[in-house]
Amino acid sequence: MATTEVNKTPEIVQPKPSTISNLFKNIWFLYALSVVGFLTLWDIAAVTKITGEFLPRPVEVLYQLVDMFLNPLAGKTLLTHLWFSLRRVLIAFVIAVAIGVPIGVFMGINKYFRAFFKPVFDLFKPMPPIAWISLAILWFGINETSKIFIIVIGAVVPCIINSFNGIRLVDESLYDAARMLGANKRQELIEVTFPASFPAIFAGIQISLSMAWTTVLAAELVGAREGMGFIIIMGMNTSKPAMIIGGMVVIALTAWLISVSVSYLERWICPWKVDLNNNQ
Amino acid sequence: MESRLEQQPVNYKISCTGLSKSFGNNNNKVDVLATMDLHVKENEFLVILGPGQSGKSTLFRIMAGMETPSTGTVTIDGKKVTGPGPEIGFVFQRYTLFPWKTVLGNVEMGPKLRGLAKNERREVAQHYIDLVGLKGFENHYPHQLSGGMKQRVSIARAYANNPKIMLLDEPFGQLDAQTRILMEQETIRIWEAEKRTVCFVTNNIEEAVYLGDRIVTLDGKLPGKLSHVYEVDLPRPRDFTDLEFLKLRQKITDESQLVL
Amino acid sequence: MENSKDRLILKILPYLGILAVLVIWELIVDLGIVPNTLLASPIQVVKLFFIKLNTADPDGAVLAVHIATSLKEALLGYSLALIIGIPLGLAMGWFVIVEGLARPIFEMIRPIPPVAWIPLAIFWFGIGLTGKAFIIWASGVVPCVINSFVGVRMTNPTFIRMARTYGASDWEIFKQICIPSALPMVFGGLQVALAASWTALVAAELIAADTGLGFLITMGRRLLMPDMIVLGMLMVGLTGVVIGVIVDKVEKRLVAGVRR
Repeated sequence: MATTEVNKTPEIVQPKPSTISNLFKNIWFLYALSVVGFLTLWDIAAVTKITGEFLPRPVEVLYQLVDMFLNPLAGKTLLTHLWFSLRRVLIAFVIAVAIGVPIGVFMGINKYFRAFFKPVFDLFKPMPPIAWISLAILWFGINETSKIFIIVIGAVVPCIINSFNGIRLVDESLYDAARMLGANKRQELIEVTFPASFPAIFAGIQISLSMAWTTVLAAELVGAREGMGFIIIMGMNTSKPAMIIGGMVVIALTAWLISVSVSYLERWICPWKVDLNNNQ
Repeated sequence: MESRLEQQPVNYKISCTGLSKSFGNNNNKVDVLATMDLHVKENEFLVILGPGQSGKSTLFRIMAGMETPSTGTVTIDGKKVTGPGPEIGFVFQRYTLFPWKTVLGNVEMGPKLRGLAKNERREVAQHYIDLVGLKGFENHYPHQLSGGMKQRVSIARAYANNPKIMLLDEPFGQLDAQTRILMEQETIRIWEAEKRTVCFVTNNIEEAVYLGDRIVTLDGKLPGKLSHVYEVDLPRPRDFTDLEFLKLRQKITDESQLVL
Repeated sequence: MENSKDRLILKILPYLGILAVLVIWELIVDLGIVPNTLLASPIQVVKLFFIKLNTADPDGAVLAVHIATSLKEALLGYSLALIIGIPLGLAMGWFVIVEGLARPIFEMIRPIPPVAWIPLAIFWFGIGLTGKAFIIWASGVVPCVINSFVGVRMTNPTFIRMARTYGASDWEIFKQICIPSALPMVFGGLQVALAASWTALVAAELIAADTGLGFLITMGRRLLMPDMIVLGMLMVGLTGVVIGVIVDKVEKRLVAGVRR
């Protein structure tokens, strides 16, 4: 077949007048303006004390961060505190995934177990994990066990929900395809159910991790001698708002790092996931 | 059982007898297929032609064992079909590839399920990937392929299981016109390379005439029932502009009443 | 026959599940497997529920007051989150200047878990209604903004192009096309925001409060009354479910035709 040469249309070059109004349509300029504006307003508000005594200047927060990074607070530097929180999150997260995913999966594939367990789970689900704190302290005292218990409660729910829904929402025609190729029940489970529901399960694990990070703070706010929650409660008790905001900055950065690294991990584990968005 | 087997004419590969299907319960019943008989000979290329909503997909799902008929039976080589199985290769309209598997992984799925050793199934899969013209795309994921290529994978996947029968359910319905013609030529090439009994559902008269040894038409309203049968003895490869081709096409067009 | 028996079993099992939990719970307390100082039995909790209906001791308020306090705080924070979050998210989705100015700040605030706001909120607004409403607002506003933003961004571009060819202005497109098509997403965000708000409320009340359901739980711990803790937890769960159902109903009524 002879292909006809498509006439290349000459690119239309519009001279961009560099006016102020155009600058305000440039997203990167606006981003920069936003950050600078935010910090400036914050600084002005802090210096003029227009919002009261308890707003530190941004630089004070920075100094406080450096200070906490270099000098121990309650015997530990900032990184050690961070590590304590992260360790709790990781231990609880592993336990939650180990419990939650099998329960959710089993609920998805076995209708009897689903009928039996779903209402119990539905009763348990709406109670915020933080509501368990008092009971946990009563049972285990203010120690690692009670904190990890609460985080597990918080992190296990998204694992169960997503594993369950992931399995229920597998495209029915994929089962048809596997059956037409001769799959038996067990093979359907291994070759279709598990791989097809994996992205949903993984999403649940992701939510569960950020849930764990929220819950660890709550647990540490109520009673702890170390950890990021301890730092901000310490800032409250000693009337140092710079310490609170410094702690919040580190907490936010950690949360962000966690979510970024998990989404990289996901792209690496299931490179085919793009399909879910592109295919009909 | 024995006596029934003898009643079956030997030369029929697939026999559908007294088949009908209705969905729903007593109060709200929809008849999808009226009682029908359909027989397919060994290595025949049968095309089932009908507009949308004529029950052809249901007929196909029953033949494949994915749906049980309300009455009647489907037999393959005299054996009753009771459920889906590897003796039938099915090509779905919506591709239905496993998105988490590469082209190679998809094609070797059938052999894998049958428990073939890794190198054996790789060999089988490679053979059919080459046959459908996808050499070099073994490690691509479905989302990286065009519609035509996806359907090639689907055909290779069905063939790799060495089925006695191939059922293709409007496989090219989602392709653009040019790719469609190419895929029709490819279908005939693949079929002539490795003959199978083929049933092919379509709503496109031209496609039916191009592909079929025999064309069965369904009425355009529910419940679906067979209306005409056409034997096509045009030599292959067929030409879309051949006079005989056009005559037959006209004849089918005239005789199929489209009810809108 | 097998089928109807199966259906009966599936109908009974859900009740059996809940019954089993209650019985086991009652037994482990009654038989002293778990000491009564650590866990209250269901019957004790129910008893306390009726006592607390009209007795303010020992925590200083009857149950209805606790619930009313929590509801007031939650609804104030939640409605502020909706009033600010939804318009902001919608505008961020359509107007470059709003996105440019608001997004970096939003992205900085977004990863902060709502619980982390508690100390600052107490500093700024005290432990009364305002402080807690702020914490709830901070946790509810994030999903509102995200969902409204994504909703506008997911508007079918063909509609926008069509409106442009009709000569609609930016503002008209935003009003007539983007907002209606974002509605389902926006309403999806309402439920997420509600769950987040309710969790944050309990956290806030655990740390600083003088009435409210979270406070009831804390008092239960201080007074070593496990029945009060469990009662508080159950009330939190129940109230959460009830508000969720109400939001769902309102939403269904408002977007009867729009929901996808």
